Amino acid sequence: MTRQTFQEATVAAIAEEMRRDPDVFIMGEDIGAFGGPLKSCDGLWAEFGAQGRVIDTPISEGGFVGAGVGAALAGKRPVVDLMFAEFLGLVVHPFGLDGGAMHYYSDGAAKVPLVVRAKYGVGPFHGHAYDFHSWLLNIPGVKVVVPSTPADAKGLMKAAIRDDNPVFFLEHMALYHAGRDEIPDGEHVVPLGVADVKRAGRHATVVATALMVRRALAAAAALAKDGIDVEVVDLRTVVPMDRETVLASVRKTGRLVVACEAVRTGGSANEVVALAAEEAFDALKAPIVRVAPPDVPVPFHRSLEKAYLPDADAIAAAVRRVVRA
Amino acid sequence: MNDAAANAVPAATDAATALALYRLMVFTRAADAVIAKEDGHWHGLEGEEAAVAGTYHGLRDGDVVAPHYRGMLSASYARGADLRRLMAGILGKVTSYNRGRYRSDICGPPQFGLIGLYSGALGPPLSYASGAALAFKLDRKPNVALAVFGDGVSSRGDCHEAMNLASTMSLPVVFVCQNNQVAISTLARDRVGGRAVSERAAGYGMPGCTVDGNDALAVHGAVQAAVARARAGGGPSLVEALTYRVAGHFVSDQVETRPADEIAAWRARDPIAQFERRLVDGGIADAAALARIGDEVRREVEAAMAAAKADPDPGPEVLGVGTVYAGERTK
Repeated sequence: MTRQTFQEATVAAIAEEMRRDPDVFIMGEDIGAFGGPLKSCDGLWAEFGAQGRVIDTPISEGGFVGAGVGAALAGKRPVVDLMFAEFLGLVVHPFGLDGGAMHYYSDGAAKVPLVVRAKYGVGPFHGHAYDFHSWLLNIPGVKVVVPSTPADAKGLMKAAIRDDNPVFFLEHMALYHAGRDEIPDGEHVVPLGVADVKRAGRHATVVATALMVRRALAAAAALAKDGIDVEVVDLRTVVPMDRETVLASVRKTGRLVVACEAVRTGGSANEVVALAAEEAFDALKAPIVRVAPPDVPVPFHRSLEKAYLPDADAIAAAVRRVVRA
Repeated sequence: MNDAAANAVPAATDAATALALYRLMVFTRAADAVIAKEDGHWHGLEGEEAAVAGTYHGLRDGDVVAPHYRGMLSASYARGADLRRLMAGILGKVTSYNRGRYRSDICGPPQFGLIGLYSGALGPPLSYASGAALAFKLDRKPNVALAVFGDGVSSRGDCHEAMNLASTMSLPVVFVCQNNQVAISTLARDRVGGRAVSERAAGYGMPGCTVDGNDALAVHGAVQAAVARARAGGGPSLVEALTYRVAGHFVSDQVETRPADEIAAWRARDPIAQFERRLVDGGIADAAALARIGDEVRREVEAAMAAAKADPDPGPEVLGVGTVYAGERTK
């Protein structure tokens, strides 16, 4: 067992895949000798720089994500470091509208094995926090990965690089350097589209992603003292969504809370709500409750940030509501 | 026009190349006429045949092209795609390369090295071509990518980003501006800054030239010189083929805002008629031989369209829900 942070595990996954497959390379802004903001590419330059496989790009997100699409079409397996997910708006066209459509529109003749990784999230870095990943749910053909733990980050990154489709890989900055976790030895690959029950429980289900998983687990620990037994389902990938695991949990507990860092309207958690309403309505004993930020841009001051982003108490309050109902 | 134009035309062009260019020009015009009868949204290219033929003729296996939509079909044909299946792609028939899922008029089959327009927005394919060129460079393959765009797209940020990226990484990509002087109704003289798109090349530290886009030999010579340079590791270039869209924006376009005498003047500079005179005067072919090529090409185009029209439409099974991802089916 190795113990690594989210950042270390993610970089280790990229390095392992670069060693394993000569077609894998990484490009982005300031990822060379600088190592990437928050050490997002720490060590890659030293190992792969001389091979030309760690490529610093000009500040042109649409251009280099587009170049990633083109290189993928030509048979490479690019990992593109977008630096921050708030730049998603600059790359939706190449990554999503075109990249996501190429396989389908070409009737299978083209494929785009491309990973775009990006940091985001309300956290210690106090900026670049926007969580816009939900936009991508409306674009067929792309996958969206939202890990919550170092081990998952590693296994999911390896799966993302091996996937033949455009994958958006989100790296939450509040989780990035937040302690080490045990990473399974050997080939640790977590398939995309498989959720993980991070805590089994009987009374209510909380479906969450990334930082909200951690807060849901904290809420579950607090509620356990009151005899409320919460099941926490970590989606791990928002697209594809593991419908079976979600529905099985909802059928077991009959009560559902969804927690999401994206703003409430149009957030990816709403897809979980729709799924449960369509497929497990008969099993629900209470109305579903959403826990999500209000529909305002992420505010700056810590006190506003705290008021904006739901914490463990907010998730616990939502669980109490569905359990009492 | 700058002085590089004159130098870019090879002193001697062999007869086979000249006739191949002629054939591709005649094909482009024949396909234009036949498709216009079937598809009111076809983006006609009367007047631009020399720019198209000169750009797409003469590439090698493994090269990649990201064509402008006005020229996509000719590029697909020049790369070896089957004409009946391309025509089926105009009509959305199940016999097309993508079984009717998408349009062959703006998106060529990738199995022939085409990077199409997978959405209506222009510009991103310039980066895709640069990315393919990056792949060639990483793999040390002697291939090149062509990134072709109109004067309208020269205004896009994508254009700048792709050129700067290609220049700083010395990628084997050739940018070709098929400057037909108008983008739908927006005139290049009103909304493209500077004197010539090719002059921007200097700002990226790459060679640039403007050539007569109605002269197939001039376009071909300039593009092939840039291709040879890229293939030899010399990095990107920019070639501007200055031509004119005699056609409307699309077949059913009834709104023409350009001066009638300007259009007439360019129609009189018809690239095919000009080239025929050169071929005959240069003793490369006589009028009868050229007429035979024209008849042969028109018959081929008409037969392909007739066959495609008789082909079946796609059934609902082609929708293929669950096939949007490559590789394994998702859980």
